[in-house]
This record gives sequence, C-alpha cells and structure tokens, in this order.
Amino acid sequence: MAALKAEKRLARYAELAVRVGANVQRGQTVFVLSQIDHAPLARAIARAAYEAGATYVDVSYRDQHVRKAMIELGSDETLTYTPDWLKTLFHAMAGNALIATMGDPEPDLLAELDGQRVGKAQMKALSEIARTQMTERLINWTGVAYPNAGWATQVFGEPDVERLWEAVAFCTRLDEADPVEAWREHMARLESRAAKLTALGLDSLHYRGPGTDFTVGLLENARWMSALFHTASGIEYVPNMPTEEIFTTPDSRRAEGTIRSSRPLALMGDVIEGLQLTVQDGKIVDVQADKGADVVRGQLANDDRAAYFGELALVDGTSRVGKTEITFFDTLFDENATCHIAYGFGIPEVFDGEPGEGMNVSNVHTDFMVGGPELEVDGVTKDGKSVPILREDAWQLPE
Amino acid sequence: MTQRIDAYAELIVRVGANVQPGQTVYVSALVEHAPLARAIGRAGYAAGARLVDVRYVDNHLRRLFIENAAEADLSQTTPWQMARTEALADGGALIMIAGDPEPELLADLDQARVGKARPLDAAKRQLRAQNERAVNWTIAAFPTAGQAQQVFGEPDLERLWEAVAHSVRLNEPDPVTAWREHSARLRARCQQLDAAAFDAIKFTGPGSDLTVGLLGGSRWSGGGVTTVGGIQHVANLPTEEVYNCPDWRRTEGIVRATRPLSLGGTIVRDLELRFAGGECVEVKASSGADAVRGQMAVDEFTTRLGEVALVDGESRVGQTGITFFDTLFDENATCHIAYGSAVTYGIDGIDGLSPEELRERGINVSSVHTDFMIGGPEVAVDGVTADGQTVPILREDVWQL
Repeated sequence: MAALKAEKRLARYAELAVRVGANVQRGQTVFVLSQIDHAPLARAIARAAYEAGATYVDVSYRDQHVRKAMIELGSDETLTYTPDWLKTLFHAMAGNALIATMGDPEPDLLAELDGQRVGKAQMKALSEIARTQMTERLINWTGVAYPNAGWATQVFGEPDVERLWEAVAFCTRLDEADPVEAWREHMARLESRAAKLTALGLDSLHYRGPGTDFTVGLLENARWMSALFHTASGIEYVPNMPTEEIFTTPDSRRAEGTIRSSRPLALMGDVIEGLQLTVQDGKIVDVQADKGADVVRGQLANDDRAAYFGELALVDGTSRVGKTEITFFDTLFDENATCHIAYGFGIPEVFDGEPGEGMNVSNVHTDFMVGGPELEVDGVTKDGKSVPILREDAWQLPE
Repeated sequence: MTQRIDAYAELIVRVGANVQPGQTVYVSALVEHAPLARAIGRAGYAAGARLVDVRYVDNHLRRLFIENAAEADLSQTTPWQMARTEALADGGALIMIAGDPEPELLADLDQARVGKARPLDAAKRQLRAQNERAVNWTIAAFPTAGQAQQVFGEPDLERLWEAVAHSVRLNEPDPVTAWREHSARLRARCQQLDAAAFDAIKFTGPGSDLTVGLLGGSRWSGGGVTTVGGIQHVANLPTEEVYNCPDWRRTEGIVRATRPLSLGGTIVRDLELRFAGGECVEVKASSGADAVRGQMAVDEFTTRLGEVALVDGESRVGQTGITFFDTLFDENATCHIAYGSAVTYGIDGIDGLSPEELRERGINVSSVHTDFMIGGPEVAVDGVTADGQTVPILREDVWQL
C-alpha cells in the first residue's frame, strides 16, 4: 500500500510539473534535464508529458560523478568545452517545453575539489543559448525537485526520504484535494501583491538586519511580478515549483552596502555558509564566508558582469516553504522560504518592452537568502519617503 | 568492488577503445550501468580524453516512447542525435556498455513497434563509421542481477562478476599487459592461417559435417582492429576468436549447434542447419526454431553465412563452462559461424562498393548478423587447401598449427 501511495504521489507531482509548471502543449517536444538519480521522476514526467500530448520526450541524464572526474582530471580547456551536439540540443528547445529536475543526491560530492575549478567548469556556450531563449521567451519551462536519500540526509541528518517527500508535497500543494486548482488561486494572490507593489513606483529598497545594511536601486520600467510567466507565443507557465516570491530586476548600477546571507547556499556541489558581501557602485567588491567563499569568488570571475545584481525577491511568513522551518539546502526551496537577492543576469520578463541599460547581463545567476524575522525591508519613494514592506516576516502593504 | 570496477574501466579505456589523448570518448550506457560508466569517466580523463560524453539510455523511457510515439516518429533521428553521431564519426572513441538488467521489459509490447523504435539514420551512420574503421571502439558488459538470474537461476551477482573478471583477464596482476600478450597470440594465429592460405574450413563432429568455403584474398582477423588512423583497439571484451569472411555461395553440409543461442528473448536449443550451394535450406531445433526461421525470412541473404570463427580450449570464456546468454561472451567460448552480413575487416579494396557489387565478390550483405556456437572438444576442425589436402587446425579443442 505504501508503495502504491508513493507511486500515486509521484504521478501527481509529475502531472503538476507538466500541467502547471511547464504547461506542456499538445505537439511539443519536452526536454527533461535530470540527474541520473532522478530517474523515477524523469520517467513519471515522461509519462505525464505523453499524456498531455507531447510528441517526444527527450531526457538528458547528467551524472555528477562523471562531472567530478572531469573537474579532477580534465584539462583546463575541458572545463569549459561544449560539444556542438549539445548546442544543437539546446537550440532545439526553442518553441518547446523544458523540465529540469533538482535535488542534489550528493551535495558534498565536489567539496574536496579545487573550488576555482568547480566554479569554472561551466558550458558557457549553453548558458548563452539558454539566456537568449529566456530573453526572447521561447520556452515554457519549469524546475521541480526530486526528494532522495542524499538530499534528505543533508536536510535532516538522516536519510529520511519520506519526511522530505512530505515537506516537498506540502510546499508544492500536493496535499490539496485539487493541486492544479490550488496553484491557480495561489498564483492569483501573488500576482495581486506584485501589481500593488509596482503601483507604488518605488525608487529603491533598503534592507536592514544582522550584518546587512543594503540599498539597491529599482528601475522605472521594471515591474514586480510573480513566477507566472508567459512565452512570447502566449503559453502561461510557472518556472519554479514551489514559488512564494514576488520579484523584480534591480538597477545593476545602483547598489551599496553590506549583505549577510541568512541561510546556507548550495552551489555547484558545495555548501556556502555565512556569506558576507560588500557592495560598491553596484558591484560585489569583497566576498567572505565561513565556508565555500572560493566557489562564489570563482563564479563571480566567470564574466565581468557576474558581480552585479540581477534579482530582488520578497517573501513573507505565509510561505509554505517558510512554514516548514526546514533549510532544504536547495535554492529552489530556500529562496521561497524568505527574501533573497541574486547576483548575475537580470530577469527580462519584468520589463514592458525592451529591458533598459540597467538590467544586468551575465552568464551566471545565483540566488542567496537574506530574509527572516530580523530583516526589515523598506521601500523608498522618489521623494525620499520610507514605506515599510516587511516587518518580522509580515507583509505590511495591502494585498 | 571499487577496485575491480576501476581495473575493468581501465582495461576498457586502455585496451578496448584505446583512448588517445585529446579524443572525445562517447559512452553509451543504460542508467543501471552508472557505476561502470563513472569508472570509465575517470579512466577516460586519466587517459587524456578531451571530454567523456556519457549518454545514458533508460529502457523505461524507451518503453514509454514505443507506447506513445506516432508510427512515423519511431525510427526518427533527432538533429542532436545526428550531430553527436557525426562528431563521433569524426575521430571519436566509442565505448558501448552491454548487459540488460531487465531483458523482459519490452516483451509485452507490439514487437513490430519495438523493432522499429531506433534512430535509424544515426544507427546507420555509426555502423558506417565502425565499418570504415574511422573510430576506435569497444563493447564490454556490465554484470547485472537480471543477467545473473538468467545464467544461474538465481541473482548471484558476485558469481557472475567473477566469471566476467576471469573472462576478461581482470584477475591477472597486470590485465593490460596480459591483454597485449593475448592479442599478440591471436594475431600470430591469424598469420599462421593466412600463410596456410586455406580454401575452406571443415567442421566434423556429432551431427556436424560442414564445409565453409572462404573468400579468396580475405585475411584472418583477431586480437584487435586498427583504425585507418592507426589506433589499435579491441572491439569486443572479451575476445578469443580469430575470424574470417566466408564466400556466401560456398557452404555445404550440415551443422549442429553445441550451445544454446539467445535470440531476442528466445532461447534456441539444439539448433541444426543444413546448407546446399551456400544457402541454409533447413532449420531444426528442439526449441526456438521459429525464431531462427523468422530471422532468416528478413531478407533473402540472411540464409547465407557471413562469418566463420575459430576458438580453442584455452578460451577463458570457454573455461568458465557458463552459458552467458549474451553473444559477446558466448561466441568467444568456442568456434562459431554467423548467418547474415559479412565481417569485412580482412578484405581490402571494397570501400564504396554497393551491396550488389559486394555480393558479386562473394561478400554477404544483410541487415542481420547472428552468431551461433558449433565448436567443442568433439568437433574436429580442418583447413582444406586449394588442391584438396586437409590440415588439422583443432583436435579436442587444442590448436594444431
């Protein structure tokens, strides 16, 4: 019985990813990017996608162990080398659906390796293709996580996969009688919150908390929005499941102060703890951390705009992810527990028309968490007035 | 365990594919083969590979595809599959991991759709690259519990691993050197046979009296293949055979298989074939005869021979006494012949010839190639010279030349 229940849950989860997340359309090819350890979810997604009318489901399995061998033993040239066929694969995603599965089965696998090499090991050519497709809004895509023993051990100190599954099911509203309908209502509420914040026409945000005193400029032509996206051809999709945030792309030229992250950050097989950034003239000029600072430094060296900001996101205490009080060590979840900021590329979807000069352009995008009950967030209007947005994790504006 | 897998991967990379510094190594593996694929990743990078590109195939996804895809899409090659295959054909190294953990997974599906469901253009392109000796490639097996169940009647994976390790010489202190010596011995045998310039090979034993006419000018092969670029590789791990191309018009007599044959999910036992004028005119078996008859009906040249291979009692595979139900192993246990398409490694000057032109020269062309075992201690093997003299090659499984 337990096995049957688990199988049903997996099928419902896959259906949510296909119907609400990527919102797969009849006749589309569905690309799935998965760790090999996610095979059960990849298979369930394939089944749901064919049921939704996909003509072909192409699953690319990745293997962190082969990647580890590459970083450990490969030449410098190998670290960034991109075979042409992978570029062909990525180009083929335009006009089609993409589902990426997350949930690191061995979060510390790369920890013993040279952090600089780990940071450098990136197929930049693929990131560039993906960035263009995002900017032109050519793909209906989503990311969903697969609970597994390695991840559960990192979260709970023991491989309690069932407990992790229950938390994931709660966060993604799988416990609702009709999860698809529950997601419609949830997204409508976030949309309304975003619209009201946009209407205030704020000039900047001010973050205050332990180790944090940070001011960042907002862009006049950038909206606040929820993760309810539309492709250029009009397909509505939800790129992250769960999602609890409303977000915007900041002015990458205007940021000052210090930021201390409030939760651990899982990044490229490593876990960064106690991240502390110093920002001048929009740029991260100093990186400190209790653990893993080199991985962040390596990533910031990736290109000359990596050290500028690309996203601001606000999350309050009603977040289902936040309510679990679990640190998932996975950005997909943790960024939805609380407020976060990302360095790297800006999100083009927030602009009406062409993004202006203020939007950052880079090949990296890393979210890290800054929120929590001790963080105060204020909006600052053009005439210098402060408007409280978050106090003790409670939303201060009308919804 | 890890040590054994690492040694196996090392053998596959250094001896099997013989990966050269700067090459991209294309690995095809099932998701269940991950432990070996990962070890190959390490061994590949240690050998200086530019990239080890592991493509995992998932038979469960294949099943969903066969169940759901439109008929016209079943044999389609995607642009990225083709791009990858073209890159492989352009100087890549290829490692294929065999060993099906769930041999019955597709058994209840429409078999016509199962047969059709493969990227045809990519498969043809890869086969052409292999035949033109453009890539250094190898096939090696990953032991699985499913195969152990089939072989031993119980999922005794450790026992299967030991048999595989013995067969591929992993139990030698230095397997790579052991393989060099082994390959050299097989190549020396090929030279002996080429020097003898036999016109035909004759098999005589219980239920067998078969003469296989050889193709004039075709050399014996074994112990490895050399690419046009000069990279020596061993296409099958294990390999114990020396083999040649028969003339498809010149097989006469009767032959009885000495081991069961696993044919696409069917086990064929006590197979007996009668040949006249090169053609198989009668198929008998105590079980599974229809599977062979079905295969021979695929095209008119499937009834003709494409390979004759000699294996003696020193074969490590033969020594295990195990039927692996996997041709990669079983064909190396003892002498075998194959009906269907010819092996052409020993023939010069045939690049670019059409199937008709190849057949005119006595080289069989078919979309099938099925090896079955006909050797053993009771089977005498002789070479027949052009002037009709017979020269013993094998007696009681011992090499006579």
